Amino acid sequence: MTLTAILAQQLVNGLVLGSFYALVALGYTMVFGVVKLLNFAHGDLYMVGAFGGFLALSLVSGFAGVGWLGVALAILLSMIAVGFLGVVIERIAYAPMLKAPRLSILITALAVSLVLQNGVLTLSNGQVMAFSSKLGFAGIDVFGLFINYKQIALAGTAAVLMLGLEFFISRTQYGRAMRAVSVDKDMSELMGIDVNRVIALTFFIGSALAAAAGTMAGAYYGSIWYFMGFLIGLKAFTAAVIGGIGSIPGAMLGGLTLGLLESFGTQIPGIGSEWKDVFSFSVLILVLVLKPTGLLGKSEQERM
Amino acid sequence: MRTSLRSTVAALAVAAALITPALAAEIKIGVLVPTTGSEATYGQDMANAVQIAMDEINAAGGGDTYSMVVGDDGCDPQQAVNAATKLASSGISGVVGGYCSGATIPTLKIFGDAKLPMVITAANSTKLIPANPGNVFMINSTGNDQVAKALDVFKTKGIKALAIVNEGDAYSQDLATLAQTAFTGAGGAVPSFETVNKGEQDFSSVVTKIKASGADAVFWTAYYADGGPFIKQLREGGYTGLIIVGDGSTSTELFKLAGADAAEGVLALSSPTPDFLPNAKAFADTYKAKFSNAPGPYAALTYDGMKLLASAIKTAGGTDSAKVIEALQKSDFKDGLAGEITFRDDRTLARSNFIVLEGKSGAWALAQ
Repeated sequence: MTLTAILAQQLVNGLVLGSFYALVALGYTMVFGVVKLLNFAHGDLYMVGAFGGFLALSLVSGFAGVGWLGVALAILLSMIAVGFLGVVIERIAYAPMLKAPRLSILITALAVSLVLQNGVLTLSNGQVMAFSSKLGFAGIDVFGLFINYKQIALAGTAAVLMLGLEFFISRTQYGRAMRAVSVDKDMSELMGIDVNRVIALTFFIGSALAAAAGTMAGAYYGSIWYFMGFLIGLKAFTAAVIGGIGSIPGAMLGGLTLGLLESFGTQIPGIGSEWKDVFSFSVLILVLVLKPTGLLGKSEQERM
Repeated sequence: MRTSLRSTVAALAVAAALITPALAAEIKIGVLVPTTGSEATYGQDMANAVQIAMDEINAAGGGDTYSMVVGDDGCDPQQAVNAATKLASSGISGVVGGYCSGATIPTLKIFGDAKLPMVITAANSTKLIPANPGNVFMINSTGNDQVAKALDVFKTKGIKALAIVNEGDAYSQDLATLAQTAFTGAGGAVPSFETVNKGEQDFSSVVTKIKASGADAVFWTAYYADGGPFIKQLREGGYTGLIIVGDGSTSTELFKLAGADAAEGVLALSSPTPDFLPNAKAFADTYKAKFSNAPGPYAALTYDGMKLLASAIKTAGGTDSAKVIEALQKSDFKDGLAGEITFRDDRTLARSNFIVLEGKSGAWALAQ
């Protein structure tokens, strides 16, 4: 392989990995923007999404098969189911805590994370399960650079979801309400916005995006287990912080940046796979030192 | 007067209880294996094997009756310490098991302090050897023997440049560095030596790096849970060289996770598994009848381990730990499914027991 081919291949690898981080990071950043909560259970919604997709795929495989159509349906079903799960979690665990000190709700989020993990651990007997999709090995070869169709579909789906979200937030009435609530919750309520409904909607969208990422990860990597949400939750949170937590374009940028840092970090001599996390987290520290609000985050003005 | 009479009776009862074990006692054995987490299939399989061995000993009658207490180490050092502490205080007379080396190492001291004889039936990192307080016996060949076997394979296949991938835990890192030293010592090159995070699903950047390094073989030294997806991504990424995996990846689950196509022709270094042991046919049948699936790779060794411990307890004439440990050290055990067991001075198996398997349409077959 020539150096250019290697770098181009790592670019593709980084973008695919970054798409996952970005989709999960969006949920972190949306929830933080609206209710100022670091939802530590978010990585586990990704995991539940993967299992939901697994179940959905076995349901639809009868008529839709386990190919592209089946996986697409599984993603959709899993998004809807986990979206509602997110709303239920918000209603049961977070809503009563919204007026409580920040630390209490943070601990609640950790508890929700444990409940989800151990719930799935019990249901799946702790086994690693094979995700039985069949999407094939085929792909296209561009000047020695090999990209398979799965990678294209994955990055494409992620892009469509992210653009859709951006459109929703910036152009629709609910999107505007969401932005208003994130700026000032009490004032939004006075202006006649149904804040509870906006919060529920935020959780629905965030969870659904995590579920989409989870199901795609299952279909793409071929295996799922109850602990798969932990590492990606951590990485996606990092991505959200790099991009500027609370900022939606920031989460996308942060996710892609982290993905690229990791894949190039693996390739760079002297860093390699062993040190790639040290490398990417050093960049995180550097970003926070130079720009504490993250790449696209806005600093909050203290109002007098 | 009355109380002293009562205490005399009590003392007699205690004395009776102390004497009986020498005749026919109920002996509890701790089984330290992961029954949850990524390695759960192996762990459950080992616990099942112990159960079969105990059932046979108990059914034969005329001696001690055995029962087991399972400690779930979850293949995690912290959880293993908790499980071992709990086991050590639950009235057991010995321990069988130990699957993940990383999780097993910190438990050795706990069992050593509790003066419990332990037979490790799967874990085989060389790091276990110096960590042994003197009560632990390893009946699976260690990493050194595995690497010797791996070098044989590389020589026959004419491998000049090798990529080695591990997960940074005690077992896989130990095997990876041993292989690196041995392979470069034998004149080969290791252009790519990678460490990936356990549970991280994306190997694409490592795959690209390996492809670019020009390695004509990849040696995966970690477990099947990530090994399956790794093999899948190697083949998807267009890598066409030889893939060889260590004995942590010999579960048939590997074929489900990698897909039978991707795992075709993959070589595996394996401990003697029941499928390929001529003596283990009856054992495999019993196992299938009882647990409705085939015994896994460490079932035979674990069965042997339990039988070995029971025979040592018999030789020692009771569960006195010093005597049992002495009996284990001197054991010359010939009834094993996986061949005879004698120990070196460092309490490891005196011979190498590795075999080479090859992936053929979704199952392992004996290679060579």
